[in-house]
Amino acid sequence: MIDLRSLSRRGFLNMAAAGSASLALPGLVRSASAATALPAVNEKDAVIGFGHVGPVTDEGWTWSHHQGVLAVKEKFPNLKKVLEVENVPYSADATRTYRQFVSEGANMIFDTSSTGDFLHEVVRRAKDTAFMECNGHVLMDNLGWYYLAHWYPTYVLGVAAGHLSKSGKLGYVASFPVASVYTSTNAFLMGARTVNPSATCQTITINSWFDPQAAAQAGTALIDNGCDFLFGIMDEAAYLQVAEKRGVWAAMWNTDIRRYGPSSYVSSIIIDFKDYYVEQVRKRLAGEWTPTESLFAMGAGVDRDAWGEKVPADVGKAADAVRTKILGGWSPFVGELKDSKGAVRLAKGQKMSEMDLYNWDWSVEGVTGL
Amino acid sequence: MADFRLQRLPSATPAAALGARILAIALALIIAGVILAFVGKNPLALGLQVVTSSLGSSFGLEDLGLLVIPLILTGLSVTVAQQIGAWNIGAEGQFYAGAFAASAVGLFAPLSGGWSLVGMGVAGAFGGLVWILIPALARAYANVNELITTLLLNFVAILLVYYVSTDAWRERGGVANSATPRIKAEIPEFWGLVHWGLPIAVLLALAMAGLLAFTRWGYEVRLIGSNPAAGKYLGIAARRHLITVMLLSGAIAGLAGMLEIAGSVHRLQGGISNNYGYLGIMVAVLARGSSIGVIFAAALMAFILNSGIILQTQGLTTSTVLAITGLILFLTAIGDELSHYRVVRDKS
Repeated sequence: MIDLRSLSRRGFLNMAAAGSASLALPGLVRSASAATALPAVNEKDAVIGFGHVGPVTDEGWTWSHHQGVLAVKEKFPNLKKVLEVENVPYSADATRTYRQFVSEGANMIFDTSSTGDFLHEVVRRAKDTAFMECNGHVLMDNLGWYYLAHWYPTYVLGVAAGHLSKSGKLGYVASFPVASVYTSTNAFLMGARTVNPSATCQTITINSWFDPQAAAQAGTALIDNGCDFLFGIMDEAAYLQVAEKRGVWAAMWNTDIRRYGPSSYVSSIIIDFKDYYVEQVRKRLAGEWTPTESLFAMGAGVDRDAWGEKVPADVGKAADAVRTKILGGWSPFVGELKDSKGAVRLAKGQKMSEMDLYNWDWSVEGVTGL
Repeated sequence: MADFRLQRLPSATPAAALGARILAIALALIIAGVILAFVGKNPLALGLQVVTSSLGSSFGLEDLGLLVIPLILTGLSVTVAQQIGAWNIGAEGQFYAGAFAASAVGLFAPLSGGWSLVGMGVAGAFGGLVWILIPALARAYANVNELITTLLLNFVAILLVYYVSTDAWRERGGVANSATPRIKAEIPEFWGLVHWGLPIAVLLALAMAGLLAFTRWGYEVRLIGSNPAAGKYLGIAARRHLITVMLLSGAIAGLAGMLEIAGSVHRLQGGISNNYGYLGIMVAVLARGSSIGVIFAAALMAFILNSGIILQTQGLTTSTVLAITGLILFLTAIGDELSHYRVVRDKS
């Protein structure tokens, strides 16, 4: 059975209601039940804040969000202030940073890396400020969230990994045992197992999204263990460089960073927040903003990158065929699915919903280390 | 012709100490201002922003009030150990151990409401105490340097907290990052975000000052701290005092961890300490061995840290802010040392 405990009742009801509408805009979009829109703000009086988990120069996650910030500045050149803070820690310092945004008059604040309770503490006390939490899980009258349905392109990369890996041992450099990591490892291995049913995925968590040194060590350890294909969910390119040096394949996240390991590079989960940020800011200024929950669909904010130069054409073609199938509405996330202990968690024929995938909190058979 | 030379005084006069400190901070700000002006920022506007944001709004003052709580306690923890001549570099680890033990009680003990908070407080102090127990015994009986032992145990405590919060005690499903479920018992807030941990921390600092200044125990502790040989000659139980004081130091840092969990974070997770344990060493240095001084040193430290966050929202990078913070503390430490000197003229 799918674990529905993590879904709120409202979330569950909205999910059912939005079932048909979810084809319209980017992926799944739902809005809070009765929240009224915050009043309009003049562009020249408006203050917009962004808090990032890492540095904007990471060429990865934070860099991608920074491109969104630049797009907002370009579209709304007369904004009074755009506040942007890097390296917001996952601690009470995050609360202090977002409170500082509010006391500087922020009308809208984006938390680009879900600081959870630390953000919500501020949300509750700043009712006139609109908040958006990336990879958030909570909806309030002035708080919405957005994330990417990365599991689809990840599944596509998994298919490629199944073809490319000779040992069938896939390695994964993970941050924390959180839902996005469970979903990512599971989707990756499920894709690979369609080609090589005995493939496994060994995971190492390094307790950080941005720690190049630890990521490189984890990559080395995985290769030493026999893995010949590395994937992960890091904000930077460290384990790609390790893969290049050791002559194994690697797939990445966030941006096209093939120049760090041109012969190892397979592809990347490419992300794009520009249009979304511009649209959210436009709504806030126009007085139309209400808290919403959005999951960007594959092709609308998240996708796979162009295949690496050493990836054989037939492998790319085989993986892309799966991508086309998914774009046509097919879902690979259908039972029977067993967890890493061998228990059946999803009955035969049962399909996981977008929210199930978003909140996945167990490993499928063959994934170890989480 | 008369020669001038520098004479070192055993303790600086309060006026010299204060003057040196103000001078050091002013100098650091001027240097930082010049550098900022060079990279195209307006230092005066930034300074004004810092002052109005942190002191001119209730939001800013609340933030200072909240930030000062753990800093008072970790600073006090280091200061107390200093009284007997021990360096507790492990306040960070004791903070985590206290947070860990308090969370265990908060999550699993069948206590409700206020009793749960009391249980968490006792557990937090006990956790910190246990964490310094081995270094204290090793120092007392085998003369093992506590600088090293307390420091190394920090890493053990940090990894222990990472382990339970990402594995055994982790909340399943739906959380943003790895943490335990939210702990129900919360210390009430009395002013915006600021909870009752603030008066507890201040009272504890005052109580320690009183104990050290006015009791026989405090006198003996200070005596051993300033002259161990004299203490031995006078027949003071130096070893027992050393162990007691170090355990007390650990318990205070552990309580800081409990207050952070029950007062503002409410979940056990990695990274909660924000380096408060290490910053406590700096607070203790600034407080110059005075338990009451710890309150003011912690307030200064909170102001500096909070200014760093404000400067970041003004477009300064984390590393620039860190460099400015470091510059202020560095020059303050130099100023403190220089305030011990006076110029005397030799008559020949």
